[in-house]
Amino acid sequence: MDSRHGAPGRLALVVLAAFGILVATAALQTARSADVTQTSHDELVKQVLARKAQLADRRELVDDLTSEVRTLETDLLDATVDGRAVEARLIEAGVTTGAEAARGPGVRIEVDDGPEQDPRAEVLDVDLQKMVNGLWLADAEGISINGQRVTTLTAVRLAGGSITVNFERISPPYTVLAIGDPDTLPSRFIETPGGQWWLDLQALYGVKFEIDSSEENLTLPAADRLELRHAHIPDDPEGLP
Amino acid sequence: MIAGLGLVLGVLLGLILQPSVPIWLQPYLPIAVVAALDAVFGALRAFLDGIFDDKVFVVSFVSNVLIAGMIVYLGDQLGGGGQLSTGVIVVLGIRIFSNVAAIRRHLFHA
Repeated sequence: MDSRHGAPGRLALVVLAAFGILVATAALQTARSADVTQTSHDELVKQVLARKAQLADRRELVDDLTSEVRTLETDLLDATVDGRAVEARLIEAGVTTGAEAARGPGVRIEVDDGPEQDPRAEVLDVDLQKMVNGLWLADAEGISINGQRVTTLTAVRLAGGSITVNFERISPPYTVLAIGDPDTLPSRFIETPGGQWWLDLQALYGVKFEIDSSEENLTLPAADRLELRHAHIPDDPEGLP
Repeated sequence: MIAGLGLVLGVLLGLILQPSVPIWLQPYLPIAVVAALDAVFGALRAFLDGIFDDKVFVVSFVSNVLIAGMIVYLGDQLGGGGQLSTGVIVVLGIRIFSNVAAIRRHLFHA
């Protein structure tokens, strides 16, 4: 046995050196891996940002192409007498359905939740639905809620504590704009079930409900998207009015 | 102490040479370090107790590292995930602490 009890021999020194190498290598390895992990993280972040930028560019392109298509459509229709008649019908249909922006005189209705302590004084989606229905009954020609155009396919729903119109969240106070005859629209609206509902809300729970019929020039934006899933043009064009 | 110099020399060699570890060996590096650490502390305690033996140190060092690596490898194959390696580290940690306690009693009589 080449060892001496109580003191390390040459072999022990070699093993200690090996231990030192082992520790140093492990430390270096970890340091190197940390670099690699950081680099791949940064790389992924860069890729995500690049894709987001690409998406934004594509959206812009879609907007540009859409307006180009519209211009071409208008030009094409303007070229013939029949075309202009079709265009007129398109615009009229667009205004009532919400596909086209609209401008005209009308009323502005401001509503807001009542006193905070009363949970019944909160404006709900059904309240706004009744208001919209009442306005249509009173011959409104275009309606928007907080800047969101109400179309024939618009849903006014309560989702997660706030009301959404066209799947866009809106928050109180709510401004409802309706294009129509400012002289008759308010009184006819009040007479509808929707108008009566709102008068009750105001009287019982102190919900804010103010109609301003002095609006001369309301502008309602076109709806963002109108997807037709079931309706389609019939094969027999003679059947159209 | 010559042993300390040996250790320092080893660390310097490792930092200078920077041996590149093959990929399949990399996961076993940390556990090998802990197992080796246990052998080193055991040797230090034996030295302070006056019963240090070269051969015992070398054998315990090599066998610790090999057995720790083998248990971790077995864990990977059996699909136990990190559990076997956790067990190995816990046990090695316990041994390191008890050795360190004995060393402490020698050095500080406390």
